[in-house]
Amino acid sequence: MHIAEGYLPPIQAAAWFAVSTPFVVHGSRALVQQVRRDPESKLLLGAAGAFTFVLSALKIPSVTGSCSHPTGTGLGAVLFRPPVMSVLGGIVLLFQAVLLAHGGLSTLGANIFSMAIVGPWVAYAVYALIRRLGGGLDVAVFAAAALGDLATYCVTSAQLALAFPDPATGFVGALVKFGGIFAVTQIPLAVSEGLLSVLVVRLLTRVSGDELRRLGVLRKPAVQA
Amino acid sequence: MFALDVAAHTGPWRSRHPGEKALLSLGLLACAVILPPWPGALLSGLAAAVLLVGPARVSPAVVLRAARVPLLFVATSTVPLVVTVHAPIRLSVNPAGFGTAAHTAGRSVAALTCLLLFSATTPLSEVLPRLQRLGVPAAVTEVAALTYRMLFLLVESVRAVREAQAARLGFRTWRTAYRSLAGQAGAIFVRAFSRARRLEEGLALRGYTGSLAVQVEARRMSPPFLVASGGLLVLIVAVTAAVVVGPQW
Repeated sequence: MHIAEGYLPPIQAAAWFAVSTPFVVHGSRALVQQVRRDPESKLLLGAAGAFTFVLSALKIPSVTGSCSHPTGTGLGAVLFRPPVMSVLGGIVLLFQAVLLAHGGLSTLGANIFSMAIVGPWVAYAVYALIRRLGGGLDVAVFAAAALGDLATYCVTSAQLALAFPDPATGFVGALVKFGGIFAVTQIPLAVSEGLLSVLVVRLLTRVSGDELRRLGVLRKPAVQA
Repeated sequence: MFALDVAAHTGPWRSRHPGEKALLSLGLLACAVILPPWPGALLSGLAAAVLLVGPARVSPAVVLRAARVPLLFVATSTVPLVVTVHAPIRLSVNPAGFGTAAHTAGRSVAALTCLLLFSATTPLSEVLPRLQRLGVPAAVTEVAALTYRMLFLLVESVRAVREAQAARLGFRTWRTAYRSLAGQAGAIFVRAFSRARRLEEGLALRGYTGSLAVQVEARRMSPPFLVASGGLLVLIVAVTAAVVVGPQW
């Protein structure tokens, strides 16, 4: 759910740029260091960015009868880790704004915060917690993708509520209004994205296990003595 | 291919320096967002629309198709602005909200038109290498450029996989539709990484040193274009100031 170009008041749009900048700078530094250590990883990062863009353009059927797009942030965070996702997500959001007019340049800071920062961090935290507690890969991926999507939607609703508080009940009332309107499509979409991510990881475990091991999603097999 | 990118690569402004087009379209975008919606956003949006279908010769059908999704967001998000919530949850129409809704929707539509002016006239492949001059690290611009180049191949792959799945009744039921979608995502993951690996091997054989800098076609800024763009922006600011401050004189 991208906030459209020009929808936020200018001061709020600038404030969201200020909030997102440290995360993107931190992610960029991590990316620059990784590329310096291993120049070949630049090509893999480019592939990861293109994969994230195309993943977010897949049309998944929604229970409302229409089609929706996954955010791709949950699966992206599990595969590529949140700091890299803040940069890749920023690049993908910039491309979506310029190539498809989804989102915008003035609202890029707000969209980066919800989709490239909060979504991936929530997804990765959920994934890491479930794996540490001994949960299976399927459960962890489903929860990460679904909750990452929901977190993105909640933050976008909060951003809109901050920009346009309700005259009678303020921020809370506005959050109920925006959340209520988008919940109709976003809650089923979060479940759909969770299911889709599980199917994708199952498929990749079968056909691209080495790549998943390289990314740290699958554990390397123990060396036989 | 993306319709806006095709328009940018084939339009009459293709050979103009990206900086000129950025000054004009992003300047108009800044006016649409920062100036009061009446008349600042209206004038900026109108100017962008006239430039889009006039000198930039972008088909109105392309503009309208690209604007569909963001306009749907604007329409949906404007509804809460005209409704008030009372505790416990009870909704009523707020007549004062119509002004805010009109201002917000007007500003957003005007800003969207300015964004479309930039997107439909400026190829991203020309913008990305120049971002380095604005302080973006080379590694980030190179990753972005690689992403840009690969995504066309992946979008084509997804389209081909989707058509093949549809021909095999892959979207007949929910169950088959989800399996087909997972197949699409899996296919693009495998293709993206196999392509990256092949690129890696090819570059290694050519003595890859870590830099993927490509030659950017040198373009000259056109002083008349810059002056006209600056003049248009100053005119919009001056008219807006006159209308907003005027009644108080």
